[in-house]
Amino acid sequence: MEFIAEKIGMSRTVGATSVAVTLLKIKDMKVVEAAEGKALVAYNAGKGMNKAVEGQQKKYELSKEFNKFVTLDIANAQVGDLDLSTLAEGMKVKTTLKTKGRGFAGVIKRHNFAGGPAAHGSRFHRAPGSIGNCEFPGRVQKGRKMPGQYGNTNVTCQNSVVSFDAESNILVLKGSIPGANGTLARVKVIS
Amino acid sequence: MKNRYIAAFEQAQVAGKDIPEFKAGDTLRLGVRIKEGDKTRVQKFEGVCISLRGEGTGKTFTVRKMGANNVGVERIFPLYSESLESIEVLKKGRVRRAKLYYLRDRRGKSARITELRK
Repeated sequence: MEFIAEKIGMSRTVGATSVAVTLLKIKDMKVVEAAEGKALVAYNAGKGMNKAVEGQQKKYELSKEFNKFVTLDIANAQVGDLDLSTLAEGMKVKTTLKTKGRGFAGVIKRHNFAGGPAAHGSRFHRAPGSIGNCEFPGRVQKGRKMPGQYGNTNVTCQNSVVSFDAESNILVLKGSIPGANGTLARVKVIS
Repeated sequence: MKNRYIAAFEQAQVAGKDIPEFKAGDTLRLGVRIKEGDKTRVQKFEGVCISLRGEGTGKTFTVRKMGANNVGVERIFPLYSESLESIEVLKKGRVRRAKLYYLRDRRGKSARITELRK
């Protein structure tokens, strides 16, 4: 079972052991087409609107706020509001979401290189240093860690479920998940 | 300001906990649960609260006392910690600051806090 959720932020629990938790709000979702094991689901994501979306809304008789469509793995889906009861029974979930984009980053930020001394005339600060040998092999080895785009990629992680509030649709996961607050996540119940 | 969903989540956990109201400068007596093997007992810790920080479930406070040989002892507790069996306010202090870190540099008479009288 898959769902679309928005990352809200982190908090902690109080109790014998205090646990760091992440809160996710499950989006209002409407199943518009159900096939075997899969369903086309509409949800709200910002104000994005174009003629294609308008046409889809007309076809499925949706209100204006349902402006995004996604295919999710949902068993026994029925057209209409999506049933969230599996979340309440879920023990573990996989969440997939975009990590924070850091742009073109150097090797210290991107690959945890140590860097050189800041002072005493070392002349070696944040550069990657040597990237290989000499005439043999005469090329740079594949997989060499170098500067480049860091972040803004999809990352999946597993977390156990602490609680699910069916009233406000808040899913509470143990530990952290990648991405900035407000990022949309794909939540998959795995057990 | 915290997100309203986070605030509601924390509110639900804190609800029902009976914590007396106190602030920096107040003298507290805490019952601290100590686990030894499979037995637990309660130890009293008495001192001056020198700071209250954070909000929601992450709120903590620091209690300072002078231990043996005039060695200062500070302990930081989460306000809603399970290991706190009781919090008792013994004295209300008259202080002009929210954080009493200056007490760390004081010894003896100058480290006193006058009691608040109404």
